[in-house]
Amino acid sequence: MFSNALNEKIMRGVFFATACTSVLAVVLICFFLFSNGANALSEIGIFEFLFGTIWRPNIDVYGIFPMIIGSIYMTFGAILIGVPIGILTAIFMAFYCPSILYKPLKIATDILAGIPSVVYGFFGLIIIVPMIKDFGRFLGMGGNGNSLLTASILLGIMILPTIISVTESALRAVPKLYYEGSLALGATHEKTIFHVLIPAAKSGILASIVLGIGRAIGETMAVIMVAGNQARIPSDIFQGARTLTANVVIEMGYATGLHRDALIATGVVLFLFILVINAILAILNKRT
Amino acid sequence: MNIKTILASGLTVGLLFATQGINFAHAFDKKSSITVVSREEGSGTRGAFVELFDIMGEIKGKKADLTTLDAQITNSTSVMMTTIAGDEYAIGYTSLGALNDSVKALKINNAEASVANIQKGLYPVSRPFNIVTLGEAQNAIAKDFIHFILSTEGQNIVSQAGYIPLNDTKPFQVAKVQGKAIVGGSSSVAPVMEKLAEAYKKINPQAEIELQVNDSTTGMMSTINKTYDIGLASRNLKNQEMEQGLKATVIATDGIAVIINKNNPVENLDTKQVKEIYLGNTLTWDQVSK
Repeated sequence: MFSNALNEKIMRGVFFATACTSVLAVVLICFFLFSNGANALSEIGIFEFLFGTIWRPNIDVYGIFPMIIGSIYMTFGAILIGVPIGILTAIFMAFYCPSILYKPLKIATDILAGIPSVVYGFFGLIIIVPMIKDFGRFLGMGGNGNSLLTASILLGIMILPTIISVTESALRAVPKLYYEGSLALGATHEKTIFHVLIPAAKSGILASIVLGIGRAIGETMAVIMVAGNQARIPSDIFQGARTLTANVVIEMGYATGLHRDALIATGVVLFLFILVINAILAILNKRT
Repeated sequence: MNIKTILASGLTVGLLFATQGINFAHAFDKKSSITVVSREEGSGTRGAFVELFDIMGEIKGKKADLTTLDAQITNSTSVMMTTIAGDEYAIGYTSLGALNDSVKALKINNAEASVANIQKGLYPVSRPFNIVTLGEAQNAIAKDFIHFILSTEGQNIVSQAGYIPLNDTKPFQVAKVQGKAIVGGSSSVAPVMEKLAEAYKKINPQAEIELQVNDSTTGMMSTINKTYDIGLASRNLKNQEMEQGLKATVIATDGIAVIINKNNPVENLDTKQVKEIYLGNTLTWDQVSK
């Protein structure tokens, strides 16, 4: 029908258009967020919005500082719990794992990655919350289990698959020469792994942590169900807190007017967090 | 210390805590602090609850919801129920229609939370379920369906579903109309609306009612921009929404039950006690019961 050259041109156009879709989506989301959020920021005042500690939409007081703190605390907690477990698991899978165990482990981490977050949420609500409640009361700290600690543990579990798979492939990418060279110099298997191979895979491991942070800070559904969602700065880990994502989801359905704009502006702040994380990731990738 | 020792000791300590965490048994301790659980800001249920118990005060000359900032917030009924069922010291609230055996409903001012008591005016906590249209309903099916909802037959379904029906209804006049109407909004109103739509389709098989479930505000917005013929709201309309031409009709009344854990010996609270708990002034259970 058409000449080959024309076909070539048409298909090139089609591929270019599909390639543009994702870029276009990002641009549109940016545009939507910033144009809608700007209104709230100018009306409330950037400083009051970011550093105000009181969130009471019904009297038009919008300060998201507690939510920023909540997001940071929970992400930090998740990293504290998820990173050591994840990295050690990856080391085990890459260097110690008997081949009979490898497959089940690999399948388990893959399934862990595929579980919907609302299922994690219910798991947390029914299993982790009562345990933390009893633990908190045992220590005399009070709280009812819907707390920073619970959310951190749950997020720690949720970021495991990301950390394990990225770290494992980083470790496997280290040239075999390093391992053999180290053994030849008289180091043991353990010494080689912890002092040669892990430092060599450092940037890949860091990248896995950054990806984990991105996953943790953006997680919504599971966190809402176990974190308590109080819009105030928590004073200990047995108290609840609200994250930026939770703030948007919980109230968006009912919000109108300035309240709605303030929630979109919350989304802008979250988006900036994600941009920073991605920038860090890009820098890390460049260095490898 | 080498890495293996650190890991091994960490693991031991972790296991120790985990096993201890599971093993404590505890009796109800009245000196313990109350875990206040609330719905999210702007929720229809919260709006009604706060208004009825007057959990309000004046800030900057405006009447405002002053629910304590220490209250745990959830945006779903099932999380509310699970939290209350799992925490001896918790207090929360839910729609009377959603109440089940996993929690205990408190008497308010010595009146049990029941349809009969709300009708008699003894139980003070209830709110309207609204349907809204943009002006008068234009769609013939929507119009006929609204007639059905407000008729004796429709209101029978409302009362069977556990809500309080309207008084003085007339029997439904079957009109021969056909077509489709889209109904959507509040997830609190949706269950009873589903039953109403089913019953209506039996009477008028040529009609099609499509029900979309999201939330009150989305229901209102979608009715304003004509996506829905009928919107559902579990709260009163805001002025902003009325100004855009929405017209609300009450189709039923829903009670709100104040719920506590089954192990909590408290049976009754008065309106003022609930208010003080939610304002954050009453902090422990022994302040409200002997």
